[in-house]
Amino acid sequence: MRFVLRRGEPGYPAHLELTPRPPRVLYGFGDPGALRPALAIIGSRKATPYGLDCAAVFARCAADAGVPVVSGAAMGCDLAAHRATLDAGGTTVAVLGCGADVDYPARARDVLATLREGRGAVVSEFPWGMPPARGHFPARNRIIAGLAYAVLVVEAALPSGTFSTADHALEAGRDVLAVPGSVFFHGSAGCNRLIRQGAAPISCIEDLLDSLAGCGLIETVRGAGRDASGPTPLSPASSDPVLCALLAQPTAPDALATALSMDASELLRAVALLEADGRIARYPDGRYGPCLPR
Amino acid sequence: MTQAVVASSTIVGVEAIGVEVQVDVSAGLPAFTIVGLGDAAVLEARDRVRAAMRACGYDFPNARVTVNLAPAPVRKHGTGFDLPIALGVLAATGQVPRAATEAVAVGELALDGGVRPVPGLLAHAIAAQRAGRPLLIATEALPVVGAVPDVSARPLARLSGLRQGLPDETSTRAPCLRTAGAGPDLAEVHDQPAAKRALEIAAAGGLGVLFVGPPGAGKTMLARRLPGILPPLTAEEALQTAVVHSVAGLDVESVLAGERPFCAPHHTASTAGLVGGGSPPRPGEASLAHNGVLFLDEVPEFSPAALQALRQPLEDGFLTLVRAEGRVRYPARFALVAAMNPCPCGFLGDLQRPCTCPPALVDRYRARIGGPLMDRIDMTLRVDRIDPRCLLTGGADEPSATVRRRVAAARECTRAREGDRTATSGAALLRACALDATSRSAVERAARTHRLSGRGVTRLLRVARTIADLDGSDAVTIRHILEASCYRAIS
Repeated sequence: MRFVLRRGEPGYPAHLELTPRPPRVLYGFGDPGALRPALAIIGSRKATPYGLDCAAVFARCAADAGVPVVSGAAMGCDLAAHRATLDAGGTTVAVLGCGADVDYPARARDVLATLREGRGAVVSEFPWGMPPARGHFPARNRIIAGLAYAVLVVEAALPSGTFSTADHALEAGRDVLAVPGSVFFHGSAGCNRLIRQGAAPISCIEDLLDSLAGCGLIETVRGAGRDASGPTPLSPASSDPVLCALLAQPTAPDALATALSMDASELLRAVALLEADGRIARYPDGRYGPCLPR
Repeated sequence: MTQAVVASSTIVGVEAIGVEVQVDVSAGLPAFTIVGLGDAAVLEARDRVRAAMRACGYDFPNARVTVNLAPAPVRKHGTGFDLPIALGVLAATGQVPRAATEAVAVGELALDGGVRPVPGLLAHAIAAQRAGRPLLIATEALPVVGAVPDVSARPLARLSGLRQGLPDETSTRAPCLRTAGAGPDLAEVHDQPAAKRALEIAAAGGLGVLFVGPPGAGKTMLARRLPGILPPLTAEEALQTAVVHSVAGLDVESVLAGERPFCAPHHTASTAGLVGGGSPPRPGEASLAHNGVLFLDEVPEFSPAALQALRQPLEDGFLTLVRAEGRVRYPARFALVAAMNPCPCGFLGDLQRPCTCPPALVDRYRARIGGPLMDRIDMTLRVDRIDPRCLLTGGADEPSATVRRRVAAARECTRAREGDRTATSGAALLRACALDATSRSAVERAARTHRLSGRGVTRLLRVARTIADLDGSDAVTIRHILEASCYRAIS
């Protein structure tokens, strides 16, 4: 179901109106009621499994707390956040850099279709049918920040497009949250930089709930999200050196065998056992690393 | 009118088939014609033969000379007919004893009458030995021909040496088989224990292996060391492989010494270059790697048609080329090692350098290695660049000889269980694995968590069976299955 919201007319989101440069018109598809104050979850398009899992865990947490999740439907972290919210039965809003009726990126087609059916909304300030263009995306980021009370960056390299969203959020007086990553990995440098610059570090579900309460998205921390069956990002403590090494840093078997001075076949057996238990997973690039428990 | 007949042979595929060189010298206008579907090189023999005969003090008959190469419908290639044609003309004109024509003659003539070797001499020698006839060849070619047992080789340095008839038989000493590999040693590869382990398993089980890793991770270096950890060629294998190399006009010395061939065609190789072809048909890299290792570096960059053409050799161990001039069959049983970057730029999953590939491009890149090849790759492993500090310090790495002993023991284990036929079908493999309840459930669990297809399960069992053989274990246990599951394909 299509809708068009104009500034000054009833139905235009009040919190978006409060930002420095709100869009004149908002073209939308789906449920306009989904455009209430939300948590934005954004991150790299070239996300690692770590970033994707973080996006999923925190999106599920927001959904369980009844907070809508807004993101940009881009590949990687954005789509992971949308999907996890939908899986958890939450509301999610996709803001596009093209017309709200355009399927872009193609991989997001199923998610966008679900949102347009009314499980959330797809919105854009660009008119119907407008194709995506490079210059559209910073403008889209402004709306993502405007629709959210807090922006959570789950994984970002340096430089990163997510910085533009974070800047818009600061301009609009919204909170910026970031998930810390490995100090050795260039793909996490952006998040770590944001934290150094003052973004609130989010390292577990409790941190996120505190921040959601802090910006007024939820009434109280107690109870919210707790009843969810979703796992906490922190894996249970373990003294297994192989597991600890892989949770700290995704590694290929060779490098790990060298680092731990283990026999190759012995190490591979240990890795296979942990993998069968669902504690770690093999990444598409061939390394092993932490994963969401199945 | 006088005639003479000399036996020779021509190469079809990797075999020499007998050709009868019939020479007729009769009165008429002086002429020299060669009939019997010879190519340009065969026709040029006229000028070489005439000059060589004169240079050696023979007379070229001032008459009509006709040469027929029988069977006439078979196409004949190359310069090997120079010697039999000259011998036929000489015998027909009574300048050499008739007895000289009882040998199979193969050789090219120089203008000064010197005799030169031609490609495929080993194949010619085998044909002569089967026919039970002596073989007249260039003196230079004597060491090569010595690899064929029981061949009666008659070396000839110059055409003038035929005046007294066939040269005497010269004893050809078979080159001794070296027992140790002379190629690069595994000890030169520092660290990378998992990759070395994978190589050892691949060598023990004759399995195909794919290394995935960034540029400079040492994928090529590892692959080059696979021939060195395989047991050396047996005399029979060495001869089979040497014949292919000989037909291709390559040096056969190292192969005859028992060294397994290592072929690494560039990824721009054409289909004909990879599996053989052209006119006259020449063996491709897959056949040159017979009984050795075929290494496909940057495997997604190969043309899909060329990779697809590897399907037959991978399944059957030989190749059949069908061309206008007939069918040729090349042997091609090789161990396959493939290597690829994880993504087009090569740095996906690298800690230091960011990958610059759009995600969709990575998927397309991976999908380029099509079905038939992926089916033959039993093990996949990520290899990474190693810490430069390890390179400089260099620990105690195992030499190839130690690994080769373990591989030989494992192969012995396999042979004791299965005889010469390795268990390839699912049922036979399952029997060979002798799974008990725990290991069976481990296989089921691995299949479930990794969503393995039926073929994936077969591959898992095959790798696990080989690991158990390396372990000296009769049954495949859970430890073998766990390790094998780490080598499954990266999706």
